[in-house]
Amino acid sequence: MRERTWPLPTYYFTLLALLYLPLVILLVFAFNSGTILVFPLKGLTLRWFHQLFATEALMRSLRNSLLVAAGSSVVATVLATCGAIAFVRFRFKGKGLFITVALLPLYVPFVVLGVSLLLLFSTLGIPRSLLTIGAAHSVVALPYALLIVTARLVGFDPHLEEAAMSLGANYAHTLRRVILPLIAPAIVAAWLTAFTVSFDEFAIANLLVGREPTLPVYLYSQLRMTTRLPLVVAMAALVMVGTLSIFVALVWLRRVLARTPVSAAARA
Amino acid sequence: MAEQRARLWAVLAPPALWLGALLVAPLVLLCGYSFRSGIGGSLFGDWIVTLDNYRTLAATPSFLELLGVSIGIALVVALAATLLAYPVAYYLVFRVRARAGMYVALLLVPFWISYLLRVMAWKVILGSGGAVNAFLLWLGLIREPISVFFYSRFAVVITLIYVWTPFVALPIMATLYRIDRSVLEAAASLGATPGQRFWRVTVPLSLPGVLAGVVMVFIPTVGEYVTPLLVGGSTGAMYGNLIQDFFGRSANWPLGAALAVVMLVGTLVLVGATSRISQVERFIR
Amino acid sequence: MQQHLGRWPLPVTLATLVVLACGGEKKPQPAASAALTPETTGTLTVLDWAGYEDTSMFIGFHQKYPKVTVSVAFGESDADIFGKMKAGADACVFHPYTGWQPFYVRDGLVQELDTTRLSHWAEVPARFKALGQVNGKQYFIPWDWGFTSILYRTDKVPGGIDSWNALFDPKYKGHISMWDDGPGAVTIATYVKGWDETKLTEPQLAEIEHMWTAQRKLNRFYWTGEPELVQGMASGEIWVAYAWQGAYNTLLGQGVPVAYAQPKEKRNSWVGLYGISSACKDTNLAYGFLDEKLSAEQGTTLISSFAYGHVNPAAAKGVTDTNIVKALSLNDPAVLDRTLFTPLVSEADRDHFGQLWARVKAAQ
Repeated sequence: MRERTWPLPTYYFTLLALLYLPLVILLVFAFNSGTILVFPLKGLTLRWFHQLFATEALMRSLRNSLLVAAGSSVVATVLATCGAIAFVRFRFKGKGLFITVALLPLYVPFVVLGVSLLLLFSTLGIPRSLLTIGAAHSVVALPYALLIVTARLVGFDPHLEEAAMSLGANYAHTLRRVILPLIAPAIVAAWLTAFTVSFDEFAIANLLVGREPTLPVYLYSQLRMTTRLPLVVAMAALVMVGTLSIFVALVWLRRVLARTPVSAAARA
Repeated sequence: MAEQRARLWAVLAPPALWLGALLVAPLVLLCGYSFRSGIGGSLFGDWIVTLDNYRTLAATPSFLELLGVSIGIALVVALAATLLAYPVAYYLVFRVRARAGMYVALLLVPFWISYLLRVMAWKVILGSGGAVNAFLLWLGLIREPISVFFYSRFAVVITLIYVWTPFVALPIMATLYRIDRSVLEAAASLGATPGQRFWRVTVPLSLPGVLAGVVMVFIPTVGEYVTPLLVGGSTGAMYGNLIQDFFGRSANWPLGAALAVVMLVGTLVLVGATSRISQVERFIR
Repeated sequence: MQQHLGRWPLPVTLATLVVLACGGEKKPQPAASAALTPETTGTLTVLDWAGYEDTSMFIGFHQKYPKVTVSVAFGESDADIFGKMKAGADACVFHPYTGWQPFYVRDGLVQELDTTRLSHWAEVPARFKALGQVNGKQYFIPWDWGFTSILYRTDKVPGGIDSWNALFDPKYKGHISMWDDGPGAVTIATYVKGWDETKLTEPQLAEIEHMWTAQRKLNRFYWTGEPELVQGMASGEIWVAYAWQGAYNTLLGQGVPVAYAQPKEKRNSWVGLYGISSACKDTNLAYGFLDEKLSAEQGTTLISSFAYGHVNPAAAKGVTDTNIVKALSLNDPAVLDRTLFTPLVSEADRDHFGQLWARVKAAQ
């Protein structure tokens, strides 16, 4: 029975176009030689990209963001892996509590998280810095990482570990040689996700920033000055390309994950 | 089984301690701080316990109204984004099926690109000097730039819907995937039309995912402060801006903490109420 | 076929992280010897207003000690800067304005200055020195001074503006921009009403809140930094705004048709101050910075480029473009006496004004 097939695809592609339109326009402006963001375009140029790399403050904020994202994503991934193993492979009282707390950042508005961490750091006398932002990001990214690793771990037969241990391996060894390699794609996916979450995060970073800004904080401060806008737009274009590559990497990883027996269950 | 216990602690302790120190402790501190009186003097001395901040909050109609407005905005955004995303989710699960991966990827790319940049793109396009107004002026349809697109509550709502729609398709897709096709086949064999199948079988069965999506968008949006800062102007401020102000320029941390606690409690109660049908909880079990 | 990627990602990432971290945030340099030389290195952290991160704002310091990095964090208003300092901002030097000095002293946020370490101190007139004193002790150096008035587009407001009431005028609905600051807003309201800011009663405060709540519907956005205001006016979105003369000067330079009003209630005026935070460990760089700020050369740059007054009387002599100087009487600090100088308010009032503004912004 043939149903009307055109409304849905049309809807999908229209929505897609609307979603992409602002980004495409932004990309186009990155090559515009005028400083005001209006049509018609003045001319095409790569000038802003050159200037971008010469703008010290912008480059420094980029470096800061990369640092914070790298650090916080590693911490989040390691902790999430530990948490996932504890959750899936062990029985203990308070499992529900643990998972509730671990997933709490998904349910608490970022502004609340940000100000409470601000309070904490002020109480302890820790000045705001990239470290404080990194700490906050590790907490915020942890739920995502945890969900990804748990999904993968859930699908694996615990008997694999038992088999390894009955063959003489201790637990640490089993962990290293059996469990971790099998969930490695999920760990990488979790790490990439945590990295992206941190790199792009603004709401909390804005509250916890010290004297070194992250890229979003810097971009925000520049958004209000017209003469800097083309530079910001060029930076936006580069960030888009960068995020896109991470995204492609993640998609590839999902296909790798999909080739294991747990594909259906893991893909939630 | 001591060895088993030791192993458990080896893996459980790091995340538990980290979360305890950087998530639980700050939130507890926030709650405690909201009962502090006075804003003068050193930040952590002179701690007199009082309900003053909550009294101030209760006695200031505009603060509570703003909370109400923010909840309203969040609700509109969540519902609109979910409604917009539903046909996409349906299309991808029931029509595209096997090749959905690529289509989902395409949908998510805008979501993965920096949130700030997407809001900025909006600013570029909708501002008085932006592309839309320039286009309309050039066409001669308007004589002066339309200002409601920008620096308004309307702008905040539209921007937020734009930001969230790609994301909310995911939980809906997840629930739609889980619908047993044999149920639909049975309905068809009993003479149900496609429309009836959709409204009487598919939609009710997909409601948990829809609800999860609504909650997933609603919660962060209630506390939004960034989008209002960028596109809200004087009239588009939300509750989150109030909190941010009291922790920043208005330097009244206890009152800000009280405001934050009210929002925190509200969102947690809401999540608790919907947790039975929430996608995440089911997944955990 | 093996589907795992091997164990390499995690160790490699950790190694990368370690390498990156080693090249990471600059650690504070050990305290330099008392004398600063052109070879001195280090980082000086400053909490300042938007636009003051430009090296021309501390040109003497930058030229004398080129290896020192000046790292500027931003505040949007006095209330914001105060909030940040209370929260423990990592800033050695900060830049409040008159009216706020006592709060920093009361809360122990600023250290007393040893003026013998400032070679240009003697050049500063006593009237300015006094502004940096609290309880008889010198805590701040005065630096810049100027006015607040109404900046407007002459092509959009051909009739001109002669009163602070213009900020509340429905004629300009949707094209007004007020500064996002509670105490500032209260001050302006008292000008319009003719009240004494230091002696406001409850009914008066309620009336002020009502005025600004009504004004919110006419206001396009509250500006938080001069660059934002300049952009709004240049694009034509804003016709009438609360502004300092720096914005006026910048817009004139961009060729935008603007005028700076002389309201019948008089302009507001203020003096900017720099202080060293009590948490600052290495004060050598801070003193060098403050000293160079006081020099006549710095003053000339400030006046010529940004149209702000400078406390050093010798500064005005070096200015070549005299138009702005004449227009704003920048060579005559006594002009401050003919304007409404920002008064000191009490701590309680300051907090009331802040909360009032929060209510104004939250009102529906």
